[in-house]
Amino acid sequence: MSEFALEVRSVSKTFGTKPAVKSVSFGARTGEITGFLGPNGAGKTTTLRMALGIIAPDSGSVRLFGAEPTARAFDRVGFLPEERGVYRKMTARQIITLFGRLKGMPARQARTRALELLERFSLGDAADKKIKELSKGMAQKVQILSAIVHQPDFIILDEPFSGLDPVNQGVLEAMIREQADAGATILFSTHVMQHAERLCDRIVLMARGEKVFDGRVEEALAVVPRQVDLGVDPGQELTALLSPFGAVSRAGTDSEGMAIWRVVLNGKSTPQDLLKACVDAGIALSRFEPLRPHLHDAFVQLVSDPADTLAERA
Amino acid sequence: MRAIYLIARREYLSYVATWGFWLSLLSVPVFLVVGAAIPVLVESSQPTRYYVVIDETGEGYDALVQAGVERERRERARAALEAMAMTRPEAARTQALERFDEAATPEAGLDAGFEALGMEAAPAGLAAGSGNRMRVEPPAATPEALRPWLTGERTVSTPEGERPLFGALVIRRGSETPLSLTWYSTNLTDNAIAQDARRVLEDELQEELLRSEGLSEARIAALDQLQPEMRSVDPSVEAGGEREVTGADRVPFVLSIALAFILWASVFSVANMLLTSLIEEKGGKIIEVLLSTARFHEILIGKLAGVACVSFTLFAVWGVVGSVVATAGGTALASFDPEMAELLSGIVKPGLFAAALCYFIVGYLMFGAIFLALGSLCETLQDAQSLMSPIILVLMAPLIILSFAMQSMDSAFVAMASWVPLWTPFLMMARLPTEPPLWEIAGTTLLMLATMVGVLWGATAVFRQGALSQANVDSVKRWFRLGKTG
Repeated sequence: MSEFALEVRSVSKTFGTKPAVKSVSFGARTGEITGFLGPNGAGKTTTLRMALGIIAPDSGSVRLFGAEPTARAFDRVGFLPEERGVYRKMTARQIITLFGRLKGMPARQARTRALELLERFSLGDAADKKIKELSKGMAQKVQILSAIVHQPDFIILDEPFSGLDPVNQGVLEAMIREQADAGATILFSTHVMQHAERLCDRIVLMARGEKVFDGRVEEALAVVPRQVDLGVDPGQELTALLSPFGAVSRAGTDSEGMAIWRVVLNGKSTPQDLLKACVDAGIALSRFEPLRPHLHDAFVQLVSDPADTLAERA
Repeated sequence: MRAIYLIARREYLSYVATWGFWLSLLSVPVFLVVGAAIPVLVESSQPTRYYVVIDETGEGYDALVQAGVERERRERARAALEAMAMTRPEAARTQALERFDEAATPEAGLDAGFEALGMEAAPAGLAAGSGNRMRVEPPAATPEALRPWLTGERTVSTPEGERPLFGALVIRRGSETPLSLTWYSTNLTDNAIAQDARRVLEDELQEELLRSEGLSEARIAALDQLQPEMRSVDPSVEAGGEREVTGADRVPFVLSIALAFILWASVFSVANMLLTSLIEEKGGKIIEVLLSTARFHEILIGKLAGVACVSFTLFAVWGVVGSVVATAGGTALASFDPEMAELLSGIVKPGLFAAALCYFIVGYLMFGAIFLALGSLCETLQDAQSLMSPIILVLMAPLIILSFAMQSMDSAFVAMASWVPLWTPFLMMARLPTEPPLWEIAGTTLLMLATMVGVLWGATAVFRQGALSQANVDSVKRWFRLGKTG
């Protein structure tokens, strides 16, 4: 088995005079969930389309399951495109069966599997209803099931959570985990960092057509400067004391009326250094809380600073 | 192939499963049956029209009118019989007509002639050459006195019982002409009885004049027959001989033009089906989903094939129903339109139908691909309309040429126009019976096939751009602007 289900090697694509993707390379490791993140217009969808052979790259290459992509290899891939749409006059079962057959499943097997999936994802009653009779969320679920009906080894999901209500987002998260547990490799793009943070083993971050980060989630979080919240008496002034450790600011008051100061630590300081300085100065702390970094912060940090070659750091 | 088959199948089933398809499927045969049955229904449901003839001259013109009308009816019935017998061997046809002539004397009536042929009850249409009419004795002697009967206040005695009087024909001496006819009837549209009488009396007056000039009856009869013999002969039919051109010989020309029109209508409507379906898919973002499972060319070919199968299903059903209707309804039709019956007898031309099928396939692929490509650039039908206008004009041109060139399919202009690949299917179809040179058929076909391949290739490229929303209606406008400025 290849180390990577997908390898994208230095692919570039230009539409007219506008470069959409500039020499991007990354891989989706077999058995892992990889998040493909980036702001609008970052080149995510174009890259995914090149990975799937829908459009050809101007330069670079793509490898699927460790080899040149073939029709047979593409049959092992399940793809949920960003655009949502299903035939409104077909029933849920017919649609899932059709996509199963398009991916090479025998008719009988596709029908059985379609019904099985619909039952499992609480759409059993809607199996023989036309899509136009279903709610938008249910129709989206049908489309997602169409992408996995053939039990693909590699699943690519382009913005799978968009348009889903929180309950169905949870269902989809569970479905992704289930597929991953069953051995599938998953690559999904999203704007919602919480999903990526909860689900991903690794992330690839795109901005302005370029890859700006590729690594494990913890590595991405590491690029976010650490922050500490301190709770003290409202009359106390800490700027002078804490400035050597990083950027200091007032972050409001807590429910007990204590003043909250936030320190964004510089690269040389640690929370322990900060705590020691406070103790040494005889400051009475009602709170000392090192804040847990979030992927959202990493995303903002990485995307907003193009000069920073964080990819190399990662 | 799997994706093409599945996409075509889905496309096919999506049409076949709609009410619209079944309505289209049934509407044509129903229209055919109803169309064929309407004359019979109208004729058979028409009540007998009772009329009176008042001859104020007292010179027996009323009897002449009656005899003339009967003679005309017999001649029409005989012509219909002759047309019906077209498919029989000539000897059998001649024998049947002789038996009819012998039996259907003016005294015995038409029914006797049909009975002699084993047609126990004369088919209503055959007997009704000029409608169901019956002359009755006038209940009053003057038009003024007939007014209560003519206005429906009173009825006349007929073999069916008391019935309203349809009209009264009054024959008088004219002031400037020997005779004048006046038709009294509350039905202002049907004056066929008066028209028939006028024709009969016109002949009679001419004969009277000739008699007064001293011509014998034999000479007058000979004058009646005086008319140039008109024959159309096809010299190429038999070497060293000649054969008269019949209606059946003209069938291929009529049929090929009809097929060209049908071809045009089919290509246009089927290409439109494709366009509508694609715009629906584009609007519903389904194309993107399909692209996750199939390649561009597979989607394009699958859609083209699926809709083509819908067309073939329609053609097959209509063809079968049409054949059945033409065969079964031939007898009834012959009585009303013998010429059409004669045409029908020679309508089975496998070569022409095969050519029509081939031209349909190529024409459909060319226009279908163009419509699909342009449809891929549009999100709505309104978008499509602006892009389609030039294509519609191109598609309309052969129709206009066909309309103006029906009598001259061998004209140089039509021959040149046939070389425009997008027009070739329609114009060559119409020209085939004129036997254009083989090199011309081969040349136009090759050019058309090459164009078809080019169109399919170009359509795939445009479809690729349009399907992924990398190009749209605005892009086309920009291309044209660039073209103008460049």
